[in-house]
Formats: sequence, structure tokens, C-alpha cells
Amino acid sequence: MKSYLYQLLFMAIFLTGESVAYAQESSLDLLSEDDYIGEVPKVLTVSRLAQAPADVPSAVTVINRETIRASGIVDLPEIFRLVPGMYVGTNAGYVYNTNHTLSYHGMTTAYAGTMQVMINGRSVYSPLFGGVNWSELPIAIVDIERIEVTRGPNAASYGANSYFGVINIITQTPSETPNNSIVATHGNGRNEVFYRHAGKADDFSYRVTTGYRQDDGLDNRNDFKRTRFISTQAEYLLDSNDNLEFEFGITDGARGEGNINEDNIIFLPRTKKIDNHFGLIRWRHNISDTSDLTLQAYHSYDHSDDVNTTVDLRPLIAPLDAGLAASLVNGNVVINNEVVQKRTDIEAQHTFTLASNARAVWGASMRRDSTYAPFYLASKNTDYFDLLRLFGHVELRPHEKLTVNAGAMLEHNDFTGTDISPRASVNFKPNANHSFRFGVSSALRTPNYVEEKFQNRLVIPTTLANPSALIYQYRANKGGVEPEQIVSTELGYIGEIGRLHLDMRLFSDRINHVVRDVRRTNFTVPVNTYLLNPDIDRDVFSSENQGSAKVEGIEYQANWPLTRNTRLLFNHAYVHIRETQDGLKRNYIKSMPRNTISTLITHRFNPQWDGSFAYYQTSATTLLGDGDPVDLIRKCDVRLARKFDYGRRNGEVAIVVENLFNDHYQEFADYNTLKRRARINVKLDF
Amino acid sequence: MLVALISGFFAPTLSFAYTGVTIILSAPTPTNLEFVEHFRDELISSKNTALRVKVIDLQETERLVVAENSELVIALGVNALQAASKLKHTTPVVGVFTPLPAFNRLLAASRRDLGNFSAIVLDQPYMRQMMLIKTVMPNIRNLGVLLGKNSSQYGELIKDAGEKNAINVTEESIVQEADLIPKLNKILDSNDALIAIPDPLVYSRETAQPILLTTYRHLKPVFGYSRSYVQAGALAAVYSTTKQLAKQAAEIAVQSQASPGLLPPPQTPRYFSIAVNYQVARSLNIVVEDKDKLQKKIADAELAQYEK
Repeated sequence: MKSYLYQLLFMAIFLTGESVAYAQESSLDLLSEDDYIGEVPKVLTVSRLAQAPADVPSAVTVINRETIRASGIVDLPEIFRLVPGMYVGTNAGYVYNTNHTLSYHGMTTAYAGTMQVMINGRSVYSPLFGGVNWSELPIAIVDIERIEVTRGPNAASYGANSYFGVINIITQTPSETPNNSIVATHGNGRNEVFYRHAGKADDFSYRVTTGYRQDDGLDNRNDFKRTRFISTQAEYLLDSNDNLEFEFGITDGARGEGNINEDNIIFLPRTKKIDNHFGLIRWRHNISDTSDLTLQAYHSYDHSDDVNTTVDLRPLIAPLDAGLAASLVNGNVVINNEVVQKRTDIEAQHTFTLASNARAVWGASMRRDSTYAPFYLASKNTDYFDLLRLFGHVELRPHEKLTVNAGAMLEHNDFTGTDISPRASVNFKPNANHSFRFGVSSALRTPNYVEEKFQNRLVIPTTLANPSALIYQYRANKGGVEPEQIVSTELGYIGEIGRLHLDMRLFSDRINHVVRDVRRTNFTVPVNTYLLNPDIDRDVFSSENQGSAKVEGIEYQANWPLTRNTRLLFNHAYVHIRETQDGLKRNYIKSMPRNTISTLITHRFNPQWDGSFAYYQTSATTLLGDGDPVDLIRKCDVRLARKFDYGRRNGEVAIVVENLFNDHYQEFADYNTLKRRARINVKLDF
Repeated sequence: MLVALISGFFAPTLSFAYTGVTIILSAPTPTNLEFVEHFRDELISSKNTALRVKVIDLQETERLVVAENSELVIALGVNALQAASKLKHTTPVVGVFTPLPAFNRLLAASRRDLGNFSAIVLDQPYMRQMMLIKTVMPNIRNLGVLLGKNSSQYGELIKDAGEKNAINVTEESIVQEADLIPKLNKILDSNDALIAIPDPLVYSRETAQPILLTTYRHLKPVFGYSRSYVQAGALAAVYSTTKQLAKQAAEIAVQSQASPGLLPPPQTPRYFSIAVNYQVARSLNIVVEDKDKLQKKIADAELAQYEK
């Protein structure tokens, strides 16, 4: 009893002497009881609390700020090379848009749309083709706090596009951001600068980031990108239990499109304009210590302004029919390939604990996507796609060594009607360091516009009454495509072996009703028009469900702090795709590299200097949709950084060399040749 | 022994037994009103109904009028204690809901003696907090602490208490608000948990979110100092309920009734509770036993230690 009284007395006396000097100070300077027992706003409410990795129903890779920094990337999708089982293809595509493509476990096309991609819970994949226009996102890498990648289907929580995986990019909250930062990068084919400012006034905090990015693209390609953007994130604390969050962003820019080696007749090299914006509002309401309500609404607008003029078609048509060629109204046909996509989404989510060993989340959302794409849809009307969702998930702990997760999502959409995606898993934790997981998850991939509604064709008017126009038809979808289905079974392990953190996953995924392109035979054109396809030996395509596949393999991620200052991150995936029912797309089974390896070694030499070395290896693969067979790729990146700290001002200068040994390798397709690139990056916080 | 000596040294020469207690409220907040109620109940249950209890709301009083010398003054909150500190020096005053630094400043400013100016401070003993940390995380080795202008004076005491529990405490001082997140990140890189020590520069309504979110992102727990901080997202805290503080105050009132000039020295809360955020524990994969069992364990350990 005595000792703590002594302690206090000691403090009292010590401070009595000490505080004489303060005695004259204003009495307002006193600490108040509110500093001890005043109400504190709820922060880690049940909905903000993630499941512990040992309890999670699927494999999750978390990429934090530090890893992003150490990787030295400038293009956000590049970071996913550090996720086991992920394929990243640079500068894929050339007709509608040239961007990184990303896929998990294969079926990679230029516009791969098999993953749900979200920024702070806002879905950013394109309604048109299901993929993400990565370079058009109004986000600076410096604003990213962490990225969570769910490997494996999780439609039960995130809906139909969560087919092979889910990516959730989480930005720093305004209150975590330094007051001012400038980030600038200069290097081979790359210049960019970002400025951000964060501030607060009472219960309102905000961050504004603005930037300009100039990417010259690859040699021998018309794929430059110039992008400006501004994005804002703000939070307003209404009271201890209520929080309002706002996000807003605008992007615009120019893009080089067209690939003369792939298409030297119709979609020629040209410059197109892009612009987009979005706004989001979210209300988090803490009902009680064990219950939360989140309401969120957002709207996004995405515009691609692309007008393309073909070469003079007369000389090409003349060999077929000279008279017809002479009758063309105009040899050079102008294609208006403008695309406007909008999305409005409202979601409500309620998270609560049922008992000390059970918690649940359920919610509902409504979404409307609208698409105006006169060329692709062969209609000047805007097309609407409505989506309704109802979802629920429970986590139960019947025993301290056992966690059971179960959930389902019920969806109704305009393309495929009502679908359900369930999942269930059991985690067994023999002790605090090891967790084994067995799970089965089913997900559906709703066909995108390319598969369901594309009717894109080139119409070449003539001066004749019949044919009044020549038609070259690319796709003529019959519609009514069923969703593709994946049933994924996995056995997972997460654990600590000494200091080594290991995450392993054995998987067997069955894919049914594969959506593939088939030749459409019964296609007819309007009266008094003439279909050119048979004459030039080109098929008209439509999507249909055909064939089944099995994707099996193993992947693991090892995170190993070798010493206090050295850390090793190692990823490896072995993926094998087999055809289990005839009818798959050509090259489908080769659409994922059999082995992908990535490793990142970081070392801190002293508090100022640190460096990292990354190695990426992708075995030979054949990519689908605008892709080609590409060989084994081996790539090394190095980064060396020096930190500066002058009290209020601190910063960093870093040098990054990508593809250190200058291997001229092809990625995604043989039209993409990558060479060594170096750049310098300067960051200043003040 | 030392306690008695010092108390004796500071004790005024004249003193009479008091017959009443005046409770001064900084404001009629629910907590303060609850205190009054519990205080009365405690007197009744200790069969000390002879003490009259009078309540004065500082916000409604222009000048404090207290039957000086014949009353014990219990001041609820810093403002009430400040007002009471200006009463005649022989009036015994006990502050409740008072942070230790505030008490010390008022003691110095009023030039009063410890014998008739005392408090039950809001600060929980660091040993007790360390015991909680050690019980919840038996394998903990390194603990981080962020100290501001007000709390920096306790750095050594916190380290001492840590050492006694085989916990190595690392300190970072916050001079301005802009330091907070960088220093927090720095301290979280090398420590297993964070202990929060009240300081308006470091822990305020505005900083709760960045602090709790950042530590959570490092998958590390915060040990808070109040029930409210635990509800906001800290893993656990030692705190005392209003009822517990009222009980301790009633005990002081009863014990010192006969000799008002001989108040016990300022003391930390004797009775305490443990708050645990089990949702946070679960998310961090930390198994935390029942909070009442935790409380008993710590109280027993404390007793064993003091008896040594």
C-alpha cells in the first residue's frame, strides 16, 4: 500500500518545486478532467474491425505503404506483381484503351474483368468491359495506406465481379496525412508531380491531392498518357457516434491509342481524350459498442472521347468489286467511338455482434450503370444495367480453436436475372501461431457488355440504293449469356514459424459455363446493306457458354524478417488450367503462366539509407483477347533511397532502375517490348 | 512512516472536527450528480449519517460560501478544485475528478498544505497499468509511449513501472501536433503495444481517430486510460467508476472527520475496474479473459506487492 503513495507523494513534491515557475501562468492551462474521462469518438467500431488473419475465410494479401514505397513502382497495378498468383500485363490493348491488365489465375485479356476492384469501398471496374482503366483513376500512390487483396472468389461479400479475387485500395484518412507533401518523379519516359495538402478545422478534416502524370509509354507504340487529376477526401465528426466521409475526384487527359502493327486500316494511331469524375458520401453510425450502420452513396462518370478515321477503304474494296469501291460516299470512314459510362450506387450495411463468439454483417445495395457507346452497341441510345444486392455473412466461434464463416449474396441484374453466390469455411487454430483453413466458395461472373451487348460494326455508306452501305461486323452478340460460374475449394494455412510468416493456399477451382467467342453463322444485315465479312474471310463473333475448366495449384507467400534491418518477401504460384469439358476458348488453358515468382528484399543500411531489390519471374504464357504468346520473363528492379529529416521538413530522394539487366522482353503481347528504365523520385513533407 | 511525517509537517496547528461535507460541482454533469448520489449512499451504508451533505453548483454560484473550518469540501472537477483552493487555508479540501498535474499546479498556486488540500487523482498507478498489460499480453517485451508537454514529467516513472514488470518502455515526445503520426509510426515499428497517457496534445477528441487507426493498421493494441477510450478502440484500460471514486471519497470523509487538518495525502484511485474491448481483441487475435477476473488478478497482485 505504501509504495504507490510514496510514488505519488514523490511526484507531488517534485512537482511542487517544479511548478512554482508556472504558478503565474494562466489557470486555463490546466489539464481538465475531460482530458481523462471525456467522451472519445468511436473509431474502431465493429464494421471497421477486420477479422484476424487467422479467422479470415479466404487468403488475403495485404500490401502496406512501406512495401509500396520499397517496390519503387510508379504505376499502381505494378504492385500486384507482389501478390502470389497474380498476372500483371503492361500496356495491354490498343483499340478502346491501353492499360495495365490484371488477372488472378488466368483468363487474361486486355480488359480482364474477373476481379472486383474498389477504392475505399467504391467499385471502379468499368461496366463496359469489367476491367479497370488504371491510369484514369484519380489517385496518387502516395495517398494509399494499404491494399488488401482477397485471393479467391468472394462474391458472398463483394458481389458478382468478385470472381477470381477482390482488390480493395484504402487511402490514408485526412487526419493521418502530413500537412503538405510534394512528390516528383523524373525518368525514362516518365514525368510526374503531385502536391497534397491536408488540414482540419475542429471536427472537419480534409485532404486535397492534385497531380500531373506524363507517361510516354513503350517504344514503337502510340500509347502515351497525359493525365491531370484532383482528388479530395474529407471527414466530419458529427458526434462521438456519427461520422460523415466525403470523397471527390476529377481526372482528365489525353491518350495515344491505336496500334499500326495490329490494325493498319480501321483503328489507326490517334489521340483521344478522357475525363471522369466521381463523388461519394458515407455515413458511419455507431449504434452501440456491438453494432454499426454504414450508409454509402456514390456516383461516377467516365467519358472517353475518341473519333477515329480509317484509311481510304476504296483501294481495299476495289479488288472485291471495283464498282462498289467507286460508289463509296467517302473512302475514309469516320467512327465516333465515344463512350460515356455512369454508375450510381447506394449501399447500407449493418454489422453487429450476436454474442461474444458470433458476429454478423448484412446489407443491401442498389446500382444503376448506364452506358452510351454508339459504336460498340450500334445504338445512339444509352443502355441501363440495374443491379440489386442483398448480402449476409456470419462469423461463429463454436470453440476457441475453431472459426466458422458462412455467407451468401443474392443478386438480381438485368442481364442474367437472379443469382446466388454462397460460401462457407472453417478455420482451425491448434495454437496462436498456426491456422488451417478449409473453404468452399462459389461466385458468378455476370457477362459484361462485350459479351452480352456488343454489336460493333463498321458501316461504309455508298451512293447506291442497294447496297446503301457495306458493313464490316466485329461482334453480333445474340445475348442471353449465362453467368460464368466458379466453385473454388481451398485448403489454406497461415502461421508463424519462428520469425517467418507463411501464407499458403492449395486450390482447386471448377469453372463452368465458360463464356467464349463463337462464330455466328446465322447473322444477317439489314435489307439493302451488304456484309463484307465473308468476302474478306472474317468471322462475326458472338458470346456463348461453352466448356468447363479446372484450375488447380498451390501458392504461398513468405514474409521473413531476416534481421532487424532486412526483410524478405517471397511469392510463388503454380497454376495449372485443364479443360474438363470441350469448347473452351483457344489458348484458354495457356492463359496463366504455370509459375509466377516475385520477391522483394529490403534492407535498411542506417536511419538515412535504405535499398531494395525486386525480382519477378513469369513463365511463358499465351494471353487472350488482344494478347499473344510471350516467353519467360525475368526482371530485376533496384531502388536506393536517402531520407532527410529536418524537424518539420522531411523527405526522401530515391533512384529506381527497372529491368536492371535490360532484357528486352515482351509482356502481354509481342507488340509490347520492355527495356531498362530508370527514374529519380523526390518526396518532401512539410 | 514518511507519509505520517510529511503530513505532520504540513499539518496546521489548529483543527476541529467537522460536521458536514460540501460537494462543489464544476458543473451539474451526469457524472458529478452520480457522484453525489453514490457518496450519500456510501455514507448511509457506512452508518455515518451524522455528516450533512450540501451540494453547490459552481456555475450557479458567484462566490463560494462555505462554513469554513466546520466543513470538508469535496471539489468535483478541476474548476471546482481551483475555486476551493481559494477558500481559507484551514478549510480541508479534497479534489475528485482531478488529474494529478492539475492538482499539483493548484497546490503550488494556492500555497496550501497537503494536510488540508488533497485529492483522489484520476491517474491510475503506472504499476497497475503495467500489470494489466502484462496480464493481457504475457509475452510483451516492448511498449511504446507518446508523451506531450504535460505528461513528459512521468516518463521515468512509467519506465520504472515497466521495468518492474519486465517491460521495456520506449518514449517519444510530441512537441507539436504535426509530430504525432510520424512519431507514432516510428514507435509502432519497434514496439508490441502502445500505452496512452493523458495529455491534451497527444490524446484528444481529434487525435483519437488517427492514433487508433494507425495502431490498428500496425495490428498492435493501445492500452487506454478511460472506459471511453476503450469503447473508441483501445484494447483495455484500468479506470475507476464514479461509484468507486465516491466510495473512496466517503472513506476519506469518515476517516478524517475527527482531525480535518490531517487529510490523507493525495492518492490514486483505490478501487478500480478493467475495461476491455473484446471486438478489438478478437480482431487482433489476442485472447483476453473476463474483465472481472482480470481485475481480481491485478487487485490480488497489487495487494501482494504492497504487503511485501
